Amino acid sequence: MFSSFRLSMTWLHTWFGLVLGFVLMICFFFGALSVFDREIDRWAIPETRFDPQPMPSFDSMLLPILQQVEPDEKDYADNMPAFHDAGQGPMTPRLALPVEEYWAYTTHRDPVLIMGAGFGVPHPKDPDAHNHIHGDVTIDPRTGEPVSSDALKIGSRWFYPMHYSLNWQWKNLGYWLVGLASLGMLVALVSGVIIHRKLFREFFTFRPQKQPQRSTLDLHNMTGVVALPFHFFFAFTGLVIFASWLYFPVSGTLLQPLHLQHEAEEAAATGLPHEPAGVAAPLASVDAMVTEAKRRWAARDMAGEVGLLRVTHVGDVNGYVSIYRAGSDRVALIGEGIHFNASTGDVLHEDPPRSVVSEIDEFLTGLHLQHFEHWLLRWLYVIGGLLGSVCIATGFIFFVGKRKRQLAEAGSQGARAVDAVAVATVTGIVIAAVAMLAANRLLPAELVGKGEWEKAAFWGAWILSFVHAAWRSAPVAKARFNPAWREQCWALAGLAVTAVLLNWITTGDHLIKTVFTETYWPVAGVDLSLLATAGLAIVAAGRLARRERAGAAHDAAASEDADTTLYPDAKASHG
Amino acid sequence: MFKPSHVSVINRVSAALFGGYAFTWGFTALFIAGSVGLGIDFHEAETAAMLLAFIVYLGLFIWAFAAANLYRVWKVLGGGAVFMVAAAWGLQHYLVS
Repeated sequence: MFSSFRLSMTWLHTWFGLVLGFVLMICFFFGALSVFDREIDRWAIPETRFDPQPMPSFDSMLLPILQQVEPDEKDYADNMPAFHDAGQGPMTPRLALPVEEYWAYTTHRDPVLIMGAGFGVPHPKDPDAHNHIHGDVTIDPRTGEPVSSDALKIGSRWFYPMHYSLNWQWKNLGYWLVGLASLGMLVALVSGVIIHRKLFREFFTFRPQKQPQRSTLDLHNMTGVVALPFHFFFAFTGLVIFASWLYFPVSGTLLQPLHLQHEAEEAAATGLPHEPAGVAAPLASVDAMVTEAKRRWAARDMAGEVGLLRVTHVGDVNGYVSIYRAGSDRVALIGEGIHFNASTGDVLHEDPPRSVVSEIDEFLTGLHLQHFEHWLLRWLYVIGGLLGSVCIATGFIFFVGKRKRQLAEAGSQGARAVDAVAVATVTGIVIAAVAMLAANRLLPAELVGKGEWEKAAFWGAWILSFVHAAWRSAPVAKARFNPAWREQCWALAGLAVTAVLLNWITTGDHLIKTVFTETYWPVAGVDLSLLATAGLAIVAAGRLARRERAGAAHDAAASEDADTTLYPDAKASHG
Repeated sequence: MFKPSHVSVINRVSAALFGGYAFTWGFTALFIAGSVGLGIDFHEAETAAMLLAFIVYLGLFIWAFAAANLYRVWKVLGGGAVFMVAAAWGLQHYLVS
């Protein structure tokens, strides 16, 4: 099918890059936003704009709240029919499900505390599976007051899951698409290196004054090469994070018997019961266990706060409490877990030092999930993510620029279609995110189902951007300049400034206050980023307008020229 | 500019995507079962298998596109997958008491 190795790699790079690039754009852009997901949450939920808090008392504050948590209605409706074995009797009503586990989780960037309960399914189809219906609640840890469940955490519950699941839960298809795109990213990086070969030179090559097509390819190569390890690392570790759960669920399927045997052996070795005994027992003071855990960490010379707390087999004599340390001072995602008997408070087990394999795995996934405290590195992640987005966007632009004249002569709408989708994925994605923030400030906080309206604003803005792009991209089919890019830049600039102003009007938190008088970086950072976005969009719109005026004829001629003179083989190599 | 036929493109993409996936699936299963057979902790083996899985898959993917003989690609990937899944299953049978 291909006459040479390089040609096969070129085909792979061009077509997989184009088809999966649209998904990858979502991963990179929303992944970059996820670096500051908790800060975006603060911007979106003004009543939570205060400083991070340590884990409050479990006995006096958390336990009474956890006892009130109910199984989530949606989770029950979605999953209960699949877990329940109808042969053993009718489905247990939602509020009658027995609670099996409690958990509470906080990070160094979280003012609010997230906690929840896992409820058991009395007659499961597969007793060995993880049959849990969940319920969770977010509280202000200073008072114990719950944060309204209609207040969507736009950063950590919308942008963050968007980057690994596209917020498309049906049959986990979103995760599969992202997995495919990540593999496509790895393939595109390897094939890109094989196509170009002159890696070192491309590291330093960017000629913005050259013809647009030449500069586009320069920028594509440079952003790809400069952040090559970053791109490879994130695509790879992103796959590894979900591998054993979704992509290669070997231990839950083919090797389940072996896995269960191991779990039982492990339970015997660690003293942590795998199953409840069915005998009721009270819960001892968890606060005393927390004190003991902190004492043991301090004795190991790693004093710290609690990050995650979990009670397993709630109310059973086999119940135990696991306390994990907040790992904000290291890369590896580990908790130095200490486990206590829930009814006596005795220490059952301390996590042993980890093996080399686990250390590698925890370091790699920890570096992706970055729960550690390092603001400079956090910003470098954002830059890396945006470089990835630029790499993908310039790939689209090069693809269209390369073909639009030829396709126009053939009377094809192909270039127009690709350019329209590119507009909707590049500027459209940002418009959708910013429109969601603006909607968040416009909708009243007490509105029932506010989060759902915000999601609707997100999809609505994105669809509008797509419709606009499809309508305005007509000139591309005639090999002329696409005005949709410029127009959407203006729309984005307007929206971003509006969002900042709305934040000021609705909360009184303007930049002079959040930066100088009552410094609160989470909100100031989001506002400043919005203004930077607006600034960039205005500059881009201005340049696009100038180039548009300079004329399309010159543009088309120049791109043809650049390809044949600068890279004699570029014509072949980009198919 | 060359134009590969639709059938050959679909065939090759399928080999890379599905053949590569099946082979990697078998690889992870056999790797885990084999490691446990050698006395390695199950979760250790699983973690190592998941770290290696995508390197293996990536390599197979590129190979499926680069290989001249697609028939051989299908034979190796399909045959390898079936063999490794069967071997992992047999090994598990022996390991689970």
